[in-house]
Amino acid sequence: MTRSSRRLVSFVAAATVASTLAACGGGGGGGGGGGGDEENEASDVGITEDTIRIGAHYPLTGVAAPGYSEIPTGVQAYFDYVNANGGVNGREIEWIYRDDAYNPTNTSQVVNQLVLEDEVFAIMGGLGTPTHNAVTDFLNSEGVPDLFVSSGSRLWDDPEEKPYTFGWQPDYEIEGKIIGQYVAENFPDAKVGLFLQGDDFGEDGAAGAKQFLEDQIVAEETYVPGNTDVRPQISALQAAGADLVLGFNVPSYTALSQLTALQLGYQPQWFYSNVGSDPALVGSLLARFSEGAVSDASLLDGVLTTEYIPTVDTPDDPWIQLYQRVWDESGQEGELTNYRAYGMSMAYTMIQALQSAGQNPTRDDLVAAVEQAGADWEGPGFAPFRYSEDKHAGYSGMLVSRIVGQGSEDLTPVLVTDNGDAEIEEYDGEATTPPESGIPDEEPVN
Amino acid sequence: MQQFVNLTLGGVITGAVYAAFALALVLIWRSTRIVNFAQGAMAAITTFIALSLIESGQSYWVGLVVALLAGLVIGAVVERLVIRPVEGGPELNAVIVTLGLFIAIQALISVLFGVNQRAFVAPFSTIGFRVGDNSLALSPNTLFTLGAVLLVMVGLTALFRFTRVGLAMRASAFGQEVARLLGVRVGRMLTLGWALAAVVGSLAGMLIAAEVTFVTPTYMDALIVFGFVAAVLGGLDSPVGAVVGGLLLGLLLSYVRGYVGDELVGLAALVVLVVVLLVRPGGLFSTTQTRRA
Repeated sequence: MTRSSRRLVSFVAAATVASTLAACGGGGGGGGGGGGDEENEASDVGITEDTIRIGAHYPLTGVAAPGYSEIPTGVQAYFDYVNANGGVNGREIEWIYRDDAYNPTNTSQVVNQLVLEDEVFAIMGGLGTPTHNAVTDFLNSEGVPDLFVSSGSRLWDDPEEKPYTFGWQPDYEIEGKIIGQYVAENFPDAKVGLFLQGDDFGEDGAAGAKQFLEDQIVAEETYVPGNTDVRPQISALQAAGADLVLGFNVPSYTALSQLTALQLGYQPQWFYSNVGSDPALVGSLLARFSEGAVSDASLLDGVLTTEYIPTVDTPDDPWIQLYQRVWDESGQEGELTNYRAYGMSMAYTMIQALQSAGQNPTRDDLVAAVEQAGADWEGPGFAPFRYSEDKHAGYSGMLVSRIVGQGSEDLTPVLVTDNGDAEIEEYDGEATTPPESGIPDEEPVN
Repeated sequence: MQQFVNLTLGGVITGAVYAAFALALVLIWRSTRIVNFAQGAMAAITTFIALSLIESGQSYWVGLVVALLAGLVIGAVVERLVIRPVEGGPELNAVIVTLGLFIAIQALISVLFGVNQRAFVAPFSTIGFRVGDNSLALSPNTLFTLGAVLLVMVGLTALFRFTRVGLAMRASAFGQEVARLLGVRVGRMLTLGWALAAVVGSLAGMLIAAEVTFVTPTYMDALIVFGFVAAVLGGLDSPVGAVVGGLLLGLLLSYVRGYVGDELVGLAALVVLVVVLLVRPGGLFSTTQTRRA
């Protein structure tokens, strides 16, 4: 598309696409912020009259790649959808993501490349705690907005030291708190064992859970990612007599812990954090075992977990229906998975941020927009964001659910809380539905 | 008590897995005096070949036989095409070449088979035997693993000690010129050494894959280090030493994991290695200090 024709879209967005299904999308995306008032300018690095460049790092190869490598394809699908409907203020979003193989050394390298060579306007959704932690200093010293890190670590909520960095998903501590309270209320006599990844993920989750379960915990076992033998840890949990195990682990360790427990004849109630519980991915890892040595096809049946955005096992959810439509239109290979839905949910938030930042935003405008408007955005998340000038933490809550077959059933209403000893409360807001167009329409903050 | 028993059994199993890998290293060391860093990657590629067959509906045993044959061919080809040109030069050259080969083969696996984690189903049940109300960390499959490792150990010992081929291989490794003068076809022996080592490596890869459950092109990486430690513990020269070294290491690391913490496993292996090398520089099973030609 040429520059002039793109500007045309910006000026007469509604008229141009009125006859198409995506009319409202064009109006919302193209017209958001009164696109006709002034001309688009190249207002900062990575933003031109007709493009905005967004970058990210993901593990596309290596141990962390299964599942996670699908996230950027979901983001791609949603950005394509927005672009096809007029973009944001008439600008097309260019989405560049690079492979860091979940290795922090690589992350530094690819993020350098994204910032210095590709000259992205902002980073969005960089995945992983150890990986992303290697680049936050660089991004903040360069003044690059570092939005919506794909990790529940609390490291991203530090507005003093890292003013450009923002979390997105509920952090592991509040997840631990919500899980801990649920277990304390519903399994008051359980002997609780902890199965933890040996980093922030496990530590924060355990810290949250311990606020409610200090007296019930009988064993605490950690694993180092990469060590594939978890027999000693599972043996120790079994020996301690734990009859309910909380796992703050990644999906492949969900599969490993399930198989190992089966080998040892150990059958506690399992409760995996959101990160480790994707039934489709874990199921695909375990599927082959159902044909051979393992007789039970649905190992995860009855496992407890948490949710904070809609998942693909609820095809009637209006958000999932939107995502399905977007995914089908994008024509990429594969099915809509929870990882792709995650990517789309985040991409939706990103569009909200860009719209709120105004027609010709600078990098600092984008950060200010998230701080000022972020807490009011309505999107796919069950609970609101916690963004403010003093808080860069993402979603404030989630609900507890039980895995049934490939789907799940909700066990609690949405519970919201905050870090430290903040109370856990039921969220009193309504469940949201996406706008008709499937594209948000936020007013600029300035 | 149950925990101790299970940690011990678990340690024996992981130890057997380290031993399987160490045996391949010992074999290549004895027959060519090269430490082969590409061993892990060579084992991984044959395992992926077998896994593709198994996933397409063939039985485990077809996969195993194909993996062993593939190992034989790959070992011989690698020796002829890649190692032969640097043989006879400084020892370091050959070792560096195997490092390069390691990276190249791993990349090749990613290209051919993709990078995703894949499930590897063991040939026998992995559900532990039950004693009373307790399950043991010992299953039909772990017995298979142990048995296969012991069989290879016995076979290799017999090969080197009692057969003419074994003697010729040892002679070629120690002193090429002397061996040649005595009528040994040194070139063939070196090729045979590599091919046999690759077969043992392939078997190790298959056994290890069943134990680690999920495989990626890099699944051998974590085990390579421990396999080396096991081989060095045993003196790099002795099949029995490799197995004993592997078992000792497996037991120790299992106790460390169960009673201390997973994060200290690497450190514990290092401590063992340093202590053994300080006390017995040639490894636990060395018979002679230096025997080189």
